[in-house]
Amino acid sequence: MSARPPGQQRSLGASLLDQVLAETLDPAYAQAAEAKAARAAARAGTPAPPRPWFRRHRGQLLVALTLALAGLLGSVTYREAAAGAQGREQAREALREDIGQESDTNDELVAQLEALTAEVTRTREDALARSAVGQLALEQLADAEQGAAVLPVSGPGLRVTLGNAPPAADSDPVGGSAEVAEPGIVQDGDLQLAVNALWAAGAEAISIDGQRVGATTAIRQAGQAILVDFRPVSSPYEVLAVGEPDDLARSFLASSAAGTLAQFTIDYGVVFDFAREDDLDLPAGTAAELRSAVPLAEPADTTPDPPTDGG
Amino acid sequence: MIPILGLAVGVVLGLLLDPSVPLWLQPYLPIAVVAALDAVFGGVRARFDGIFDAKVFVISFVSNVVVAALIVFLGDQLGVGAQLSTAVVVVLGIRIFGNAAAIRRHLFRA
Repeated sequence: MSARPPGQQRSLGASLLDQVLAETLDPAYAQAAEAKAARAAARAGTPAPPRPWFRRHRGQLLVALTLALAGLLGSVTYREAAAGAQGREQAREALREDIGQESDTNDELVAQLEALTAEVTRTREDALARSAVGQLALEQLADAEQGAAVLPVSGPGLRVTLGNAPPAADSDPVGGSAEVAEPGIVQDGDLQLAVNALWAAGAEAISIDGQRVGATTAIRQAGQAILVDFRPVSSPYEVLAVGEPDDLARSFLASSAAGTLAQFTIDYGVVFDFAREDDLDLPAGTAAELRSAVPLAEPADTTPDPPTDGG
Repeated sequence: MIPILGLAVGVVLGLLLDPSVPLWLQPYLPIAVVAALDAVFGGVRARFDGIFDAKVFVISFVSNVVVAALIVFLGDQLGVGAQLSTAVVVVLGIRIFGNAAAIRRHLFRA
């Protein structure tokens, strides 16, 4: 890989890549060396004229200056890159800390809310249990709570799993992100489809990834994330439905939603699985906000049922 | 000996003084460093080949750095900055590698 001698013409067919690969040394060096040799040959015989120190070392000083510039350039770039990386790391660390703190606060508040809710429930039960009409109201309340999904439920049922399509075998996990192709991602609509089909198939209670789904629970998309009851859930989505497993499975599979989801599996590789389960534990959902209330009916007036709002 | 001293002085100066680089110049620093590396390796190889010339070295260094930065700047203006940086890095990288191989042959005779 030596520099080609100057003057020799490279064939026109030589490719650009050839040139890049073959010509690693600047041809100017060879030309300068040749010119110097020619000068020396012309001066042959006559002794070199004495030159002052500066003249003799001018080239070396120039090279030293240039190398100092190179060193400066390199170290400055290194400093810049290091500072940038450090800044990014700091920002990330700060964000991570913030997330941790806010999560802790959130957990604390949730625990507080649970304790207070339990206290309210206890107090309400104590107050209602004192009177006959109160006991009646309590029973109605229990029914309503069951319907509003604010009580934990356990029993046999169906486990339906929906998940994003796994990344293709030939996708490159190095460098590129592990993002799944857009069509293979489960949308909020798909989850709604499955949940509605399960309701229609006779499910008594449903949860998605540990979030209980009630009659008014929203399943919606915010950006890339799917929110159930405004809490994010992630793929694979595990939909648990409590109910008579055989009936549930039969009706669910007969529904058009199951057909649609199965078609998604064929077309886009979406994961869609279901299994009968003997024992499912569904957590309690969040209680709906109390919007209206009516005073309990008088003890004498027993015929009309007082309308109670669940929760 | 003096040139190596110059390099050391430059590195130490850069680390100690920590000069602030204007923001618009920062994207071109890495590519300028790669170009400078190419010129330095070329110079070292020329020295081993016995054809080193100070003037050629200085001119090739300055023009390498300026042209590399200019190409990337032009690419940025045209919206192909990333691709052009890749092209510059590939070409200069091949040259650096070739020169390093030549230096290795001179040093180790292998």
